[in-house]
Amino acid sequence: MGLGFIVGVFGVLILSHAAYSTIQYRGLLKIMEEEFSGPPMNVVLELLLGFVFCIWAALTVPGNFHSIHPDSEENRIVSLSANLDFMIFNHRAKAFPLEIEMKLKH
Amino acid sequence: MAGHGDSSSSQKKSSEVMNDVPTFSAENLQNNMKVIYYSRTFMSIIGGVIAGILGFTGFMGFIFYFLVMAVTSIGLIAKSKFSVHSYFDSWNRIILDGFMGGLMSFVLFWTFAYDIVHIF
Repeated sequence: MGLGFIVGVFGVLILSHAAYSTIQYRGLLKIMEEEFSGPPMNVVLELLLGFVFCIWAALTVPGNFHSIHPDSEENRIVSLSANLDFMIFNHRAKAFPLEIEMKLKH
Repeated sequence: MAGHGDSSSSQKKSSEVMNDVPTFSAENLQNNMKVIYYSRTFMSIIGGVIAGILGFTGFMGFIFYFLVMAVTSIGLIAKSKFSVHSYFDSWNRIILDGFMGGLMSFVLFWTFAYDIVHIF
């Protein structure tokens, strides 16, 4: 997950650099008084590269898919819900002295 | 019962009603839906920023959104190693889920980026 996160941050940085280049390009066009038809080719390439990095991060960072079949390899262990119906309190820890008694001994 | 469940989806169609209705792990399905939701939301935001930078206005922007969502769907299907039925219970989930919510985020970041790059 760390690598995917770094790739995602890198992709966002590339996109913001492309945005900055486009802002400067528009400033240049205003000086030369031309119409804005589209960003220059290197900005488009940069956007494509940032897009690819972000797609890769979007597919790896959120986590893996888990199989929903109950009999597949990774679903072998069945976990009971952790609610009060399944909790057991009648075990051998009752052989320990009470905590109150141990604190009073200090 | 579903011992060969991870093989091609055409095999699943004949025994689909018998197998998928009573038994699948809902907790894992919910986890998979969460993963799809996060992926789609992030890609909607990134798609919005790119559409704003490229200067799309009007209909072209929505065409671009469908394009980004199609690429994300293909990426998600590839991530599930093309055996969609071992991770989801229907095709609609992996293709259509999160579409409308992502549209809102897309439009928000699209107008945001367009304003920053082209107007100010």
